[in-house]
Amino acid sequence: MPDYQAHDNKLTLKVVFYGPALSGKTTNLMQLHSLLNPERKGELMVLETRDDRTLFFDMLPIGLRGTSGLDLRLKLYTVPGQVQHDSTRKAVLSRADGIVFVADSQPSQQDNNAMAFGNLEENLEKVGLDIDTLPMVVQFNKRDLPGVVEELELQQRWTSTPWAPLMMASALQGNGVIESFRALLDRLYIAISDEFALEHRHGIFRHTFIDGLSACHEADRAKL
Amino acid sequence: MRLIVRNFEDDPTLQDLLSVDQLERLNRTLSSLCQAPVTIAEQKTTGAIPVEFNLETVAWLSGGHSPEERSAASELVSFLMMFVAKYRLAANLHHDTTEASYAELQRQNDALKTSEARYRALSDQLQQKVDEQVSVIQQTQQELYESARLRSVGQLAAGVAHEINNPIGFISSNLRVARDYIDDLKDSLPATPDHEELFRDFHDLLSESMDGTRRIASIVADLKTFSSIDQADYTMCNLNDLLRSSSHLVQTEHGHQLDIIERLNELPPVAGHPSRLSQTFFNLLNNAAQALSDKDFGDRKGRILMQTQMGTDSIQVIVQDNGCGIPDDCRARVFDAFYTTRPVGSGTGLGLTVARDTAHAHGGDLTINSRQGAGTRVTLTLPIKAR
Ligand SMILES: Nc1nc2c(ncn2[C@@H]2O[C@H](COP(=O)(O)OP(=O)(O)OP(=O)(O)O)[C@@H](O)[C@H]2O)c(=O)[nH]1
Ligand SMILES: [Mg+2]
Repeated sequence: MPDYQAHDNKLTLKVVFYGPALSGKTTNLMQLHSLLNPERKGELMVLETRDDRTLFFDMLPIGLRGTSGLDLRLKLYTVPGQVQHDSTRKAVLSRADGIVFVADSQPSQQDNNAMAFGNLEENLEKVGLDIDTLPMVVQFNKRDLPGVVEELELQQRWTSTPWAPLMMASALQGNGVIESFRALLDRLYIAISDEFALEHRHGIFRHTFIDGLSACHEADRAKL
Repeated sequence: MRLIVRNFEDDPTLQDLLSVDQLERLNRTLSSLCQAPVTIAEQKTTGAIPVEFNLETVAWLSGGHSPEERSAASELVSFLMMFVAKYRLAANLHHDTTEASYAELQRQNDALKTSEARYRALSDQLQQKVDEQVSVIQQTQQELYESARLRSVGQLAAGVAHEINNPIGFISSNLRVARDYIDDLKDSLPATPDHEELFRDFHDLLSESMDGTRRIASIVADLKTFSSIDQADYTMCNLNDLLRSSSHLVQTEHGHQLDIIERLNELPPVAGHPSRLSQTFFNLLNNAAQALSDKDFGDRKGRILMQTQMGTDSIQVIVQDNGCGIPDDCRARVFDAFYTTRPVGSGTGLGLTVARDTAHAHGGDLTINSRQGAGTRVTLTLPIKAR
């Protein structure tokens, strides 16, 4: 849930990258760290890893200021995807305001995707969040690999869910990462703007929110 | 999770990151690196510049030789803070998850304990049920044994009664003839007072013996009626006769001490099974007698009423006593097979069940009215069948 501190006019939102082990959550965050150039950007904190696999979490804080002086911050987290770190996953997931579910496009990983999604549903319920109302984007990563499940097939499979259309990405190559993030920002804005009067009180419009937080370096923008 | 006030993700303050000693040491080493001493503090002082870490101002840095030196020092501190903060974050997360796991474990443990207690209670209930069933079975066995014994004793008695009938017949007639002979003899002897005395005594002896044979004959008759030894299975029965002989036998069982009031109205013969009906009457009367002999029955005079009456299409046989009555909690169970309030061994637990079954077998019914401490009335209704 959003954390608004009235005394210093500070609103902190939490976005969590969830998904099966090795699907590319950390890679997504690292790409965002290097591609993004928002008003404010903190350090990418990659906590302990073993063999490049997340043990605790990764975190990247970014932010922008509203016309009212609102200090709006977005903390982007990744969870450890490995099954055994479930209690850490739950702790990181708690009080999330938005989710990017990073799935693996390889056919061999479809069972793991499903299990991770089931685990997300379960943990959301445990931390008191509702999967049907929580802003969420589903990304199928590793599109650069040969033999991945066809996009058409994936889109059709998800078509009647609240998470259609799916986002396609290759985090390794930096494709689709910003787009997935922008899609999430869009849904997040819709979910919270009224409660905190982002537009009326703080002058943060939908496009200000999305563009401000997903602004890219000029060189990268040219590439996109 | 909800109980933890400070989340691992809350932005850390300077105090969270460094202890007082560590802060002092940082100030000292930084100062020796700079051309003029610098101070890092939580509160802003004039001329201080912010030390930022992850979009958050965690401290203020003042002193230094120049603005360049200050910002370089601030930069260095931010850099250091990242590693301190990483460690803090990891440690806090570890603490949070451990606590949550422990709480979860405790919750599971509690749930386990609750379910264990539930199972224990269930098993206790089960054990109790088993014990109850075992005691019912034991009682049933006992009563079946007793009823079988009663039946064979009854058959034996009926057989003996049948055999006794002949000798009793000639003993009785011989005694009568003998008494006549005594009277003849008396006239042929001199009438001395001694003789007079002797003859009177002799006469009385024979009269008493004849009286005894009459009583034996009547007991034999009752036994024969009761066990209906010479009756076919279904015949036309005289209920009043059956009741009377049952009543005599119950009296015999209870040393002729019972006060049984007979109100037997004239009845048409009823098609039925005489020995089963007799057995039923015996049971009902015997129950009544036992209700009177019950210890907690006060010093009220115990009486049994035995009544028959005719309705429009049925006959009622009523056996009523003013004894101890049936306790409220037992009443619903009085028909349960083999149920008895009397301790095992005193028998007749089968009485009411058998009585009801007999009533049903004859197309009738059996009802019980009872009040604890006031008495019991059992009404057996039998239909008068159109012949
Ligand atoms: N080919 C390809 N490889 C990728 C892509 N994204 C990530 N990878 C690789 O997949 C491996 C795992 O990536 P990570 O980002 O560490 O995965 P993760 O989801 O954070 O994994 P956990 O921390 O264990 O949950 C690494 O070797 C990445 O280089 C992609 O788009 N294409
Ligand atoms: Mg990772």
